[in-house]
Amino acid sequence: MAAISVHQFAHSITSHAWSPDKSMVALCPNNSEVHIYKLVEDKWEKAHVLQKHDQVISGIDWSRRSNRIVTASHDRNSYVWNLEGSEWVPTLVILRLNRAALCVQWSPEENKFAVGSGAKTVCICYYEQENNWWVSKLIRKRHDSSVTSVSWHPNNILLATTSTDGKCRVFSTFIKGVDAKDSKKATSSDFKFGELIVQLDLSSSWTFGVKWSPSGNTLAYVGHNSMIYFVDDVGPSPLAQNVVFRDLPLRDVLFVSEKMVIGVGFDCNPMVFAADERGIWSFIRYLGEQEVVSSGSSYGSQFSEAFGKLYGQSKHGASNDAVETSKPHENCINSIMPMSEQGTLIRRFSTSGLDGRIVLWDLENVPDLLELLVR
Amino acid sequence: MAGGADEFKEADNAEAIITRIEHKSLKIETLLKQYKPVEALKTALEGTQAMIGDERCKSAHWLVVHRAIMAIKDVDGVLSSLDPEYYDILMKYLYRGLATGDRPTCDQCLRLHDKLTEKAGLGCILRFLTDTVNTV
Repeated sequence: MAAISVHQFAHSITSHAWSPDKSMVALCPNNSEVHIYKLVEDKWEKAHVLQKHDQVISGIDWSRRSNRIVTASHDRNSYVWNLEGSEWVPTLVILRLNRAALCVQWSPEENKFAVGSGAKTVCICYYEQENNWWVSKLIRKRHDSSVTSVSWHPNNILLATTSTDGKCRVFSTFIKGVDAKDSKKATSSDFKFGELIVQLDLSSSWTFGVKWSPSGNTLAYVGHNSMIYFVDDVGPSPLAQNVVFRDLPLRDVLFVSEKMVIGVGFDCNPMVFAADERGIWSFIRYLGEQEVVSSGSSYGSQFSEAFGKLYGQSKHGASNDAVETSKPHENCINSIMPMSEQGTLIRRFSTSGLDGRIVLWDLENVPDLLELLVR
Repeated sequence: MAGGADEFKEADNAEAIITRIEHKSLKIETLLKQYKPVEALKTALEGTQAMIGDERCKSAHWLVVHRAIMAIKDVDGVLSSLDPEYYDILMKYLYRGLATGDRPTCDQCLRLHDKLTEKAGLGCILRFLTDTVNTV
């Protein structure tokens, strides 16, 4: 079974992020706090509570190398949290917004982070050594509505955004003094800060969950019209594909390889999409258990057996937060985070949602999907 | 006057669309006479005439689709032989039918809606609800 464990942390979770070694998880239980849980002997224990925000925290990201947490909140501010001794010390980042901050992500080099907001603005924040201060630089007047998600290209310069105006955009975030000239090798011309590289107008409704593939060659995002969009050759002449699916819309996606994407959303069950040899994307199947398993009934029963066993185990582990249920998630899933990286293949990942659960998934035990992943 | 010329062109376009819709109507009548409700429905839903043009064109096209929808007797049979690419556009017309408030039309559209939702899923309804550009 793909879901290896289910943990009930709160009534609802707005966002979650993993520590660099994946031993701790930071989550927002739909209030102004961040709770950090640590895995101690198969049991999740609350290790820290980060209190500084005034309103609901909408985004959390934990940087891999520098071990810093950035949070974005409806109170229009961000904090960068540094672990000093055993305390998480916040540094205020004034985003200069007049609406809620909705999402946040560290850049790959961790010298910048991007915040999307309800003020139709994206903030690119960077650290100014001289002033000992995080500065927020705004990309304004480019979005016609709230920015629902941001995603960094591996080159640390390009940033993709989705918005409730139905468009997906790619910007340059080149900041003099922060980004070295040669880090722009992927782009042919000199893009200035905030320059719009491409605007994709594929969806007639809200768009969410933009992500770059590991190489940065493909972009995926979802529309609120139960469609997912894949864009190759992002630039002057992008190649776009849209894939229609039969159930409720998605909220977030994750590239587990160049050719495979996991989508999560209102359907409570992650969906797997993959591209074939010709690069044509299609819906493969649901990741969780389905009443109808397309690949034969014996397969299905085998799965449900393993499923029951694993739940039994987690219950046996005497953890008070383990849940016994037939479905890993029982409400909208709003975020998906990678947990392991072997090169560019992600076998383990986690999802969190409005049901307050975090579910860990592993593709290792799912032969048909593993085959698609490693091909 | 540039505006006048544009208007003329638009009207001309609309006329051309209406003519095409009339052709379609004739074809559907023929298919219905041959007891081919699936073919008739496909023909009705095909092409881009539905999406473009003014309200008059859309109304004309709705009449054609309405004819094909009302001719369906075996709902399950028709839907199972309808290719998935037609699901979204059919859903749009079913909602248009439901909006008319006409009793027999609504009855028929509800029957189809039930079966179509079973086949095409809630995503199909979502796509109808969220599409404010390509309305029928």
